[in-house]
Amino acid sequence: MIGRDPRASGLMIEQGVAAALMACGHDVINLGVVSTPVIQHAIRRLGAAGGISIGASHNSAEWNALKFFGRNGTYLSTAEASELLDIYHLRKFSFVPHTALGSVRREEGAIEAYLAELASAYDFPALAGFRVVVDCCNGTSSLILRRLNERFGFRFILINERLQGTQFAHAPSTNAATVGLQLSPLVEPLGADAGFLFDIDSDRVAIATERGEAVSEEMILPMLADHILPRSAAKIVITNVSSSSLLEEVAARHGGRVVRVPVGRQAAMDALASYRSEDLALAGEGTGAVMMSRFRFVYDGIASMLSILTMMAETGRKLSEIVASYPVYCMLKDEVAVIPKQIPSLLMELAQSYPDATPNTIDGLRLDWPDRWVHVRVSQTESLVRVIAEQKGQPPRDLFDAVLDRVRRLQ
Amino acid sequence: MRRTHNLKIGVSGIRGVVGEFLTPGLAAGFAQAFGTYVGGGRVVLGRDTRPSGEMVEHAVSCGLLAAGCEVIKVGVLPTPTIQVYVEATRSHGGIAITASHNPAEYNALKLFNHEGLFFNHYERGELLDLYHQSDFRHARNAEMRGVSSESEGPKRIHFERVLRHVDQEAIRKRRFRVALDGVNGAGSLLSVDFLANRLGCELHAISVDPTKPFPREAEPRPEVLGALSELVRDKGCDIGFAQDPDGDRLAIIDERGAALDNDDVLALAVDAVLARLPGDVAVNLTTSAAIDDLAERYGRKVWRSPVGEANVVERMRASGAVIGGEGANGGIIFPPVHYCRDSYTGMAFVLDRMAATGLTVSGLAASLPRYHRRSGKLQFEHGRLGPMIQRLEAAFQGGRIDRADGIKMSWPGRWFHLRASNTEPLLRLSVEAATEQEAAALFRAVREIAQS
Repeated sequence: MIGRDPRASGLMIEQGVAAALMACGHDVINLGVVSTPVIQHAIRRLGAAGGISIGASHNSAEWNALKFFGRNGTYLSTAEASELLDIYHLRKFSFVPHTALGSVRREEGAIEAYLAELASAYDFPALAGFRVVVDCCNGTSSLILRRLNERFGFRFILINERLQGTQFAHAPSTNAATVGLQLSPLVEPLGADAGFLFDIDSDRVAIATERGEAVSEEMILPMLADHILPRSAAKIVITNVSSSSLLEEVAARHGGRVVRVPVGRQAAMDALASYRSEDLALAGEGTGAVMMSRFRFVYDGIASMLSILTMMAETGRKLSEIVASYPVYCMLKDEVAVIPKQIPSLLMELAQSYPDATPNTIDGLRLDWPDRWVHVRVSQTESLVRVIAEQKGQPPRDLFDAVLDRVRRLQ
Repeated sequence: MRRTHNLKIGVSGIRGVVGEFLTPGLAAGFAQAFGTYVGGGRVVLGRDTRPSGEMVEHAVSCGLLAAGCEVIKVGVLPTPTIQVYVEATRSHGGIAITASHNPAEYNALKLFNHEGLFFNHYERGELLDLYHQSDFRHARNAEMRGVSSESEGPKRIHFERVLRHVDQEAIRKRRFRVALDGVNGAGSLLSVDFLANRLGCELHAISVDPTKPFPREAEPRPEVLGALSELVRDKGCDIGFAQDPDGDRLAIIDERGAALDNDDVLALAVDAVLARLPGDVAVNLTTSAAIDDLAERYGRKVWRSPVGEANVVERMRASGAVIGGEGANGGIIFPPVHYCRDSYTGMAFVLDRMAATGLTVSGLAASLPRYHRRSGKLQFEHGRLGPMIQRLEAAFQGGRIDRADGIKMSWPGRWFHLRASNTEPLLRLSVEAATEQEAAALFRAVREIAQS
């Protein structure tokens, strides 16, 4: 199963990917330009052996990438991903003889089938009445939202709706700063109940309230946990060590349990696989990427949006009221370029200098106190150390500056 | 030294057995080199009916797009149709994915320049250098172009160009009963349309399903056309046509079910064209002396070139020849249609000649100068051809010697030609003489001396 986002280079990569899959004897189902969740759903629905999403998600237009999915439309686990890399590096591919080559078929109905699944998971008539502004950032969400308007009577007002291959209206990141660029100033003047922003392949979402406030992307996962946990027998929430502690507070209210794993989708997949599925309620990141058991454990921005609208419908509260009902957690983030070989000693020293904190070393070093934490994380892709600190009520300025200072001294 | 016969990357492009050898990565890389060489822009991409065609098409399309080209996919079409379309649409180049007459497990890229012509020797060398240096153009995201599909245009343009040069009405009036063996190749559907609808023939066709595998050896040699001969006899057809998988080569069965040899097919086309138009003839060195005799009847000149379509085309352009081709492989080149081997031109001209003269195919063939030919393959080893040539030159006296492609020695009424194949690791020996016995004796003698 292959599909792509609207980047101009996507067609070139699609042709190459299709050729390579056929050469290995696979029949290829090409979905064309669709969102990543639509590909993942189609893999499961049509029983495909796996899938590839061609698109660079939240990166700018000149980037492109391949996301690989296994038999159930889920991201590869750490073991699977490293095996895939081994096969790639060995360059011993299973090319089949000319009589066993695969062929390509175009599948046009994937978005419709995905909408049908959404319709069975959400109460569309209860949600269609909301007036909602959406910043599609010239990505694949418009393909889905337009159909929701036409077929199900939703009232999405779309901006940056046209698919673009070479230039997006703004950086396609799902954070509060990007929401503030074009979306949040429009919500109040348009009299909308909420504003949503999607990245190019629609697996992440960010929000603005009806008063035009850009909400931190860290809020999405705790809000959805708050909505889902009381309605679910499953109580486990999986997230990484860098996301907000608001999640623990919200989960505790509903008897939920937060499992924190290293940053990265593979670690989340490994964790999902190591718990009984009936115990898992949801999983997500602080980036606005959330997956719910209710909708097949696929990072899905559209499903997240529909869940938030459901919260509004069921509680009868405005989005700004819902957001304001949570305690404030303040997060500070920065990054520092370092020499990689000095990182282990830095982490050791840091742990020793804060003996009162609870250390967690599954991904760099996280130090926890009852009301605050700091996470020093080594980037997987650059020679960078990221420092993230969070505290309830007010910014953890002193802790953050002290740790940042120690990291900087290593330069 | 171990030789790998399953993949050949050389001046004739890239050709190999699909699977372990001709991989999507190789095809995409070569296509990117091609896209770089033609400088981006529009490139026409088509293929024959081999099962690997779709895979290779996607890989080539990827490579072309990566070089910043715009890809026009014309799908399954004969090679000549693709070549005509490249020229007619003023594209920057074209690629036909076909291993032509090679077996089904092979595939290859035929590369065309902006005139829809095979790359000449120098262009091919430059492209190969570019490929080996991996000096590719890498289009950035903003420079990426798209892929579009075109289905009816190429056929229409090709047919129009062919039919302009024959008396279509006269042919239609005769309502010839025609048998066709399309080898389930790229010409299958077009040929049915061409013969039945455009030329009004009563058509009896076999192997015209492009979704099925090749039912016989891909090269339409007389020995593999048994089913077509039978069809001609069963249905009492006036003529039988056989194509190769990419529709550039043509074989003919006469009304008695006997296969014409390929030199006679070319000779029939030459006769038909010279009867209608002024101009010279250009053929390769291995083509029958019957062409010289025919040209003499019309007072025309014959130009000779090394074997290979590109070489014949170059000689035709230089000499301004009005018809040409390669006898041994049934390729007919008629410049007013295009400088390419074209089975459609061949079919149209032979039917035209039958309509104009009222003669049967065997009658037309009987009027051709009669020679007897033999050809065969010799084991190839590096460095063997030179000494062979020297031995042959010493052993045979008094002949005219042409060294443009291996060695050809000719005497009045007979000749032999020994050369290295362009596509396979072997030597090809062809001889011609006035009688069967003479030809056999000459073949034996040359082979013995060559291999001594």
